[in-house]
Amino acid sequence: MRSVVSRRRLLAGLLLAPLLTGCFASGGGDGTSEGDAAGGSRLRVALAFPPAENLSPYGADATLLSRLGVTEGLTALDANGSAAPALATSWTRENDRTWMFTLREAAFQDGEKVTPDAVASALTHAAEADPEPAALSGVTLEAAKEGSDKVRVTTDAPDPALPLRLTSPGLAILSPKAYGDARPDPVGTATGPFELTEVNGATAATLDRFDDYWGGRAQAAGIDARFIADGTARTNALRTGQVDIAEAVPVSQAASLDQETRKETATTRTTSLLLNTKSGAFEDAGLRAAAREAIDTSVFAEDVYEGVADPGAGIYGPAVTWAADLRTAPTGRAEATDPDGTTVTIATYDNRPELPEVAQVLQQQLERAGFTVKLEVREYSRLESDALAGKFDAFVGARNTLLDTGDPVSILASDYTCDGAYNLALLCDKDVDRAVEEAEGLADTDKRRRAAMAAEAAVLGTDAVVPLVHQRIITGVGTDVQGVILDPYERTLVGTGTRR
Amino acid sequence: MPAVVQALGVSLMLMAAALVVAAGTAAAVCARTLRLGVRRRLHQRRGAGGTAAVLAALPEFLLASVLAAVVGVHLGWLPALGWYGPQYLVLPALALGLPAGALLGRLLDDMLPAAFAEDWALAAAARGIGGREVARMAVRRCVPGLLPNIGLFVTGLTGGAVAVEQIFDIPGLGRTTLQAAVAQDLPVLQAGTLALVLLAAVAGSLARLAGRLLIGPALRDSALPSLHRPERSGPRTAPLVYAALLLAVVVLGLVRDPLAVDTGARLRAPSPAHPFGTDSLGRDVLARIGHGAFGTLTLALAISAAALVAGVLLGLLPRLSEPLADTVNAVPPVLAGLLVAGVAGSGAATPALAVAAVAWVPLAAHTSALLAQERAAVHITATKGLGASRLYLLRHELLPAVVPPVARHALLRLPSVALALTALGFLGLGTQPPDPEWGLLLAENQPYVERAPWAVLAPAAVLALLGLLAVTAAGGVRLPRRQPTAAVREPESAVVPVGERV
Repeated sequence: MRSVVSRRRLLAGLLLAPLLTGCFASGGGDGTSEGDAAGGSRLRVALAFPPAENLSPYGADATLLSRLGVTEGLTALDANGSAAPALATSWTRENDRTWMFTLREAAFQDGEKVTPDAVASALTHAAEADPEPAALSGVTLEAAKEGSDKVRVTTDAPDPALPLRLTSPGLAILSPKAYGDARPDPVGTATGPFELTEVNGATAATLDRFDDYWGGRAQAAGIDARFIADGTARTNALRTGQVDIAEAVPVSQAASLDQETRKETATTRTTSLLLNTKSGAFEDAGLRAAAREAIDTSVFAEDVYEGVADPGAGIYGPAVTWAADLRTAPTGRAEATDPDGTTVTIATYDNRPELPEVAQVLQQQLERAGFTVKLEVREYSRLESDALAGKFDAFVGARNTLLDTGDPVSILASDYTCDGAYNLALLCDKDVDRAVEEAEGLADTDKRRRAAMAAEAAVLGTDAVVPLVHQRIITGVGTDVQGVILDPYERTLVGTGTRR
Repeated sequence: MPAVVQALGVSLMLMAAALVVAAGTAAAVCARTLRLGVRRRLHQRRGAGGTAAVLAALPEFLLASVLAAVVGVHLGWLPALGWYGPQYLVLPALALGLPAGALLGRLLDDMLPAAFAEDWALAAAARGIGGREVARMAVRRCVPGLLPNIGLFVTGLTGGAVAVEQIFDIPGLGRTTLQAAVAQDLPVLQAGTLALVLLAAVAGSLARLAGRLLIGPALRDSALPSLHRPERSGPRTAPLVYAALLLAVVVLGLVRDPLAVDTGARLRAPSPAHPFGTDSLGRDVLARIGHGAFGTLTLALAISAAALVAGVLLGLLPRLSEPLADTVNAVPPVLAGLLVAGVAGSGAATPALAVAAVAWVPLAAHTSALLAQERAAVHITATKGLGASRLYLLRHELLPAVVPPVARHALLRLPSVALALTALGFLGLGTQPPDPEWGLLLAENQPYVERAPWAVLAPAAVLALLGLLAVTAAGGVRLPRRQPTAAVREPESAVVPVGERV
């Protein structure tokens, strides 16, 4: 009788085995196969953020697509933060509201040619998208074909920063096929050196080299991307050789990587303390000044970020290469008054593990100066609306100062003006508004930058924001990998020259 | 929907593997009692399964971090993360199965001596039935009392293994529903919760069915001997030692400053100046443990006590509590927290309410399972025959038999209650930094487990000490007063995997 039972169990086991193996994720782990017929081996990349919106280029997934070399726009950001040619080879400003872009000869990954019609339709879809891509916030644009290789872009209001705006990953150009459904589908319809072939939910994605890329064939045969949300797990994946590149290694794990595998890049991301200027204790400019004077920013860069950051200098950090030379001293600062035990609440989020630590150090520094400090730590999505509604006295957050548009003025407009959509300091100051408005109207790059720095000085003058650190991002790169693009704007990671 | 189905498949597989590990762990925990029981030498059994209590007090996420860092990265024996084949199952299953198995093993171990003391065991020994067979029957006699808890464990692991799924990057259901809850992705959340509720219903029915198969006829005919005899637990020194140790740590910590941030001295190894080292902001770990003790312990004790009362009361009404328990247990813990916060607002009492709202479930399940057996006991029939009222039966026969093991169960779960409070922290509920609450200490130092193990191991050790204290203070059952018989044969192997017949 025993043997009957065990035989039955064996049979059940055999029947179950294929069923169970179906439950494991496919691919990814076995991407070690060296090379294929076309040459070059596949890259294994661990990314921090899984696709949140089915890889729609209009939302948060846009950066993911451009980091993997899938999508491109008409223009791209160069190392100095200026617009550089991408799908457009050149552009001219015809009048206040109109720009003309000349396209290069290129092909979509589905075999179609990149025509002015296709580009105009792609831009029109982006302009009509709901919700609008962040780069088009507050902008209405129209795009139309002009001749055989030109596209004319017209905006409602004068937009001197349009070429910079078009560098945004959210304004990627996709083939007409991509726009069938509600959301554009970038699988096999983009123009970059790598083509998405398979997306496995929030777990993994497979990319193959696009052989007809206008910039030449990529050296890697393809990419196996994995989305690993946990920072420690991502680092472990690199350390155990499961991946070749791991993005956004957390500071707490950096020490576990060898010097050759950890690459630091200064980023445009600034961690700052934003003070609620509209209600609560920090409505008083004197107390804001007292808080600013109480804070010793060197501690954060040295100790909390373990040297993987630079002390806060202004809204723009060292990754914005031109900012330091043009910076002027903040104007119109108030005299500090004695806090005398005033109670304040500092809110922050734990999605970036360093932020709660920053807040706790801030707490101690402010309490030494005479404040009484309470902390509120939540997950970001549970915090944002309360912070924007002014429920806290102060907010500690990390903000990429150039991400959406590549234009330095945009962040000032959205974060520090009366009408700003992401104004966490709830600042409404007419000097700041005037300075920002002036900068927004300038087309000349150099003048625009100078005006932006003048506006920065005006913002800092209100003490609504205390820049704490300018973060550097740590990318873990396996020793046999070459050509990883360490981009301060965090828009690219893998390019045609990346190989293993 | 396909995403949920796939995640469910992954979670079920992980759960099955964890169940195997748990069965093995439980078997190891009970091995000594089984061996001694078969030889009828249970009077020699001393100590109350300290290792098991320590293991049961270990937080899963800590075990997972340590396993991933040590076995996965440093030794390289098994993959540190991913989900690509059977070898990827081992570490997560260990992290989930060891504490759970230790808990179940402790509960089983608690009942075994009584089973060996029953007449059939003596008769079997006298008839010369093999030791292995007797051990098997003893386990079979005790498992029905645990079955509902095994059922709960199955559902709990499928939906609640978020931390372990994150550390090992496993695309399971816990993570999927958590992400959906945070992103307010209702379709996925609904599908995930529905899958869990269905699973809970299936697991609950299976557990009941298995219970009926194992002892059904005896239950129907009220022909069970009682498993619970009055205990004679002599005074023991162990709990005093543990209590003194715990007290010493707390007192030494209390005289230090838990909030003094000194970022220059971060992650220092233990030294005379900082006996337990410092954390990532240079704060003294000993001071934080000492100052966190009062808040952590009082709240955890209060919740455990409330859960015990609620569990026993609801356990008395199985018809009401069984479906309720299955449903409540199926709801992912984070969702439960969100729901309670939605009803009660995010006040100071909300996290305690949210934890208490689920903490009674295993206790109620345990109570009703024991009660079903107890009601079927021969001496109850006899008492009934003597004309005892239902109230009398309840007060003098049923409750005294059921409450002690359930109370010990509640004490065993004390550390996990303390940890559950912390798990709600990220919703903005519960303790906020820089409060030195113990769960928070573990959570905030977890990223540094490799660089500064002391900052995590010290609070974990104190939690384990608490577990030890709880178990030994409750007193293990040391029953048999019979003499070993000469007719006992040497057992070939007394270890029987608990899951074998389940």
